[in-house]
Amino acid sequence: MLEIRFHGRGGQGTVIATVMLAKAFFKVGYQVQSFPVFGVERRGAPVEAYIRADKKDIFIRTNVYTPDHVVVQDRTLLQSIDATRGLKQGGWILINSPEPPSDLRPFAGFKLAFIDANAIALNHQLGARTQPIVNTSMIGAFARLFKTPHMTAVAEAIREEVPVEAEANIGAAEDAYNEVQLVGMIEGKNVS
Amino acid sequence: MKKVLEGSHAVAEAVRLSRVTVISAYPITPQTHIIEYLSDYVADGTLKASFLKVESEHSAIASLVGAASCGVRTFTSSSSQGLALMHEILHWTSGARLPIVMAEVNRALAPGWNIWADQLDSLSQRDTGWIQLYCEHGQEVLDTVFLAYRLAEAVSLPVMVIMDAFFLSHTYEPVDVPEQELVDRFLPAFKPKFQVDADNLVALSPLVTPNFYMEMRHNMAKAMEESILQLAEIEEDFSNIFGRYYGPIEPFLCDDAEIIMVTSGTVTGTSRQVIQELREKGEKVGLLKIKLFRPFPSEIIRKALGPAKKIAIIDRNFSFGAGGIFAQEVRAAMCNLSDCPQIFGYIAGLGGRDVTTDLLEDIYWRTKKSEVLSEESIWMGLQEENHAVERS
Amino acid sequence: MTEKKVPSKVTPLFFARSYLSTEDNKTGSWRFLRPRYEEKTAPCSVACPAGEDIGRIEALTNQGMFKEAWETILRENPFPGVCGSVCYHPCEAVCNRGEFDEAVAINAMERFLADTARKNEFKPFLTNLSAKKEKIAVVGGGPSGLSAAYFLTLLGYNCDVFEAETEPGGVLRWGIPQYRLPLPVLERDISLIKDQGVQIKTGIHISKEFLKEAGESYNAVFIGCGYSRSRELEIPGEDLKGIKDGLAFLNRIRHGEKPRLDGLSVIIGGGNTAIDVARSVVRLGGTPLIAYRRRKQDMPAFSEEIELALDEGVVLKELVIPVSVVPDKGDYIVTLHYMRIMGEDDRGRALVEPDGNKTEEMRVKNVFKAIGEETAESWCVPPHKGEGVVTLNNSTLDCRTGSAVLVFGGDLTNEIKSVVHAVASGKEAAIALDILFREGLDTVESKIRDCLVGNGSFCSMEIYMKGPRFDRSSHVVSYSEINADYFYLSQRITQPRLLREERLATFDEVNLKVSASMAIKETERCFNCGLCNQCDNCYLFCPDLSIVRDKTPQGRHINYDYCKGCGICVVECPRNAMILEEETNEESAGRESCGS
Repeated sequence: MLEIRFHGRGGQGTVIATVMLAKAFFKVGYQVQSFPVFGVERRGAPVEAYIRADKKDIFIRTNVYTPDHVVVQDRTLLQSIDATRGLKQGGWILINSPEPPSDLRPFAGFKLAFIDANAIALNHQLGARTQPIVNTSMIGAFARLFKTPHMTAVAEAIREEVPVEAEANIGAAEDAYNEVQLVGMIEGKNVS
Repeated sequence: MKKVLEGSHAVAEAVRLSRVTVISAYPITPQTHIIEYLSDYVADGTLKASFLKVESEHSAIASLVGAASCGVRTFTSSSSQGLALMHEILHWTSGARLPIVMAEVNRALAPGWNIWADQLDSLSQRDTGWIQLYCEHGQEVLDTVFLAYRLAEAVSLPVMVIMDAFFLSHTYEPVDVPEQELVDRFLPAFKPKFQVDADNLVALSPLVTPNFYMEMRHNMAKAMEESILQLAEIEEDFSNIFGRYYGPIEPFLCDDAEIIMVTSGTVTGTSRQVIQELREKGEKVGLLKIKLFRPFPSEIIRKALGPAKKIAIIDRNFSFGAGGIFAQEVRAAMCNLSDCPQIFGYIAGLGGRDVTTDLLEDIYWRTKKSEVLSEESIWMGLQEENHAVERS
Repeated sequence: MTEKKVPSKVTPLFFARSYLSTEDNKTGSWRFLRPRYEEKTAPCSVACPAGEDIGRIEALTNQGMFKEAWETILRENPFPGVCGSVCYHPCEAVCNRGEFDEAVAINAMERFLADTARKNEFKPFLTNLSAKKEKIAVVGGGPSGLSAAYFLTLLGYNCDVFEAETEPGGVLRWGIPQYRLPLPVLERDISLIKDQGVQIKTGIHISKEFLKEAGESYNAVFIGCGYSRSRELEIPGEDLKGIKDGLAFLNRIRHGEKPRLDGLSVIIGGGNTAIDVARSVVRLGGTPLIAYRRRKQDMPAFSEEIELALDEGVVLKELVIPVSVVPDKGDYIVTLHYMRIMGEDDRGRALVEPDGNKTEEMRVKNVFKAIGEETAESWCVPPHKGEGVVTLNNSTLDCRTGSAVLVFGGDLTNEIKSVVHAVASGKEAAIALDILFREGLDTVESKIRDCLVGNGSFCSMEIYMKGPRFDRSSHVVSYSEINADYFYLSQRITQPRLLREERLATFDEVNLKVSASMAIKETERCFNCGLCNQCDNCYLFCPDLSIVRDKTPQGRHINYDYCKGCGICVVECPRNAMILEEETNEESAGRESCGS
């Protein structure tokens, strides 16, 4: 079973990102589960949401504690949260950032990828300069990691979930898919 | 067609497919999504129904008493404090024999203010004469709405379809949403056994003197009893059309089980995984899911649990001064068995605390190791430091 | 549809349901007490000499039905403008609201309605009864004469009013200063009386001879020529030139004279004329001093007038009588003798006698006498009770001559010489004559009693003419019978007045106008004692839904099929417009037909 954790801020469409990604997994033959960490939902506050995907039936209904991969929709979150909490060794950590973090030590033992989703979103006129809508770019970038779910499934999922400006969102996802930088395994000792 | 849907959305889809005529509800987290979907359906004409916007839950259910008395299919939905506010009219609904269906999203009661999963809200209403069906996953919740209407209309009693907050209400998962035509086959238009009729006036729910009240209540008690058999027949019908079956209880790997864990709601799903893992390790453990809580299917439960040595009941609720409510009910059902298994009551997951696989395993091992019942209710997962303060 | 298995049996429903309508339970059969609507009499309307239906007037005003309210006054009083200005409002003294917080400002409301009618040129919807053959002469165009003529005209009689002066109005025109009663207000009232059909012949001085010949042209003569001659002081110097008659002084001012009065003026007397003279002196630049032989509280003048006079700077000297007036170098030396109190009479007035030889001399510029008036002619004095003479509360009938019937009224018969008593007198005389002509002298007294308001001594024209008021109970509602739970404490409106500084230099009216919003707010305070104002409390409280709205004037009736006589409606009626009585057998027998 695949478990993925998304980090974001209230208002960034983090929950919708997990729903879209779950739907895309479902379209390529996975059983899925997606759910947010439920709390007081405020714009700007850190939020988490999860995806479970498996070829077999999923029975478990608990929070995700040991994700296989982590997606960080806002790199400023890295200052306040531990993005690698419970992350399985060798798991991917995908960060919305124009460049890799200057200090790579916290990511030692994990695979790093980054994507400038803000720029892509703004390029597709998604959201405002202060609040770009990056969720579709992030799932596009995620799809590239394993080439699963494939972009057709991602595009279909986006079209279902985001009926307004669907094409711009799909375009953003495709751009992210193509532009994501896969740094790969960070060697060294994890000091976080 | 299978779709990835939120649990709340599954309920709304079921209500739409059930061709409900009157909906009346008041928003409260975590139930709000259900009525948001429904109000969209009513607004865009997908569902031809009246959506009554009322000023409180009390009015929501009271207005449905009026609507249902007119012989139409009705729906409401609530949670926690909202359900508590309905309490008075819940008695009225069953006494008036109105087949209203409610989706109840289990949420803790305040204070402390808490919007997360806890069964005490619906279990507090266990004596109101409503049939209660607890659900495990999105598909079950959708299917149970159909079952609920069939059952309510067969026995003239209201039904609560109950689901855990967030773990079910806000979780997206694949759900098969059937075609309207199939649903219509299973659930034909409501044929009321009585209704308000302007040409043939009837006074509903007037004064009933001691001469008749007991008979009236006995008639209700019989209807409750009969609903177990009715549900079985309805489910048979349902599985013939849809190929799915739930049953009032569901024994899972119980055949040779020495220890049976008893669960309800979403804890069941996680328990299935834990029990499969324990089985792989050679443990003789089974699981009994209780779906039908009212009427309590005592006889079936006795048969299912009787052969076990130990029973571990997991309650996401607590009746103060008594214990876990499912545990109480199971104990009452089992007490006259000559060779009654030892029954352990565990309290877990109150106020939305996660019931993890580790915790469930812990419950199993504790049960296995305990020779005698040390406590009536064993509270699981209390934080050590807080617990210590309490004990000092 | 697939074929379904026959489902297992479900026990047939047994639940609370009845095909009998709740209407089948005729709870009216339980009744041993029976409520019914019964309007009663408000104390204000009993105290009002004109018998105005005050509770109704306030209710209509509160509903914004100003014309209807004004017409309700006109049914009992042709002088809403005059009374709204100068009435001493005995109604307010007995107002039940006074026991709760403060009496309703009834007088100000009357003036508001008159002003509103004048501003909007309302024409009253009042039709005279069919014409009668009898003709009546009215001697004196003052308030009593005009009232008598007005009510006789309403009753269908042809009336001629004979007025000695050039204009009608009597004391209203010549005796009351403009700052209390502006001329346009008076003229509006008089023009409405004329519009109703009253003929007024001015400049005709009636003599005793007229009465002898009146029988040839008239079936009755109403004598209401008032008290027009000032009483004598009977002191040395009284006849001195310069000692002025108070009434004549007021008359000169009303004719337009505005003499400058410097220095101290002493006014002898304690009635309304004395006050009017003193306040006029203030306005003419003088310094008035009222010398009165008893105490302030014994003065016959209306207390509100006394207070206003004192406020304007009038000095009151109590317990003195003048004993001599001597001219001295253009001034007068007035000698006042002090009095002392011996006790009180049965009306609470001080009994006084000279206090030894204690006197005081004052040098004054003017002396006015205003110790009361009397009739100018001896034939105007009403006869004593006897054969052919009927003495009523406010008028006296003299049928002895065999020719025209004489009716004495107004100040000639009234103990309290007020405008509103003059109205009472004119109305009573009109009703008495109608009874006399239609049914004969013997029935006059008893029939007059039948149209008294409540337990009082004043007639209502509406009751006499069997209007809606006729059906009311004469029971006078007391404060204890009001359900005060339905009222909130609220302040009585303050009558807006000219500032004191403004008053001192002008004869402009002191009282300023009341706005419609103020009037509506003030009339909201009225309990409408004993009168239904359609508040619907009975309807709201009835546990058996037995109060049924309808289109009758009452607006609702009781369905006795279901009324079980619990009496909640009567208890919750805020204004005692309902009554609860023991059920009688006849009423029970009639119950079947009572229901709707």
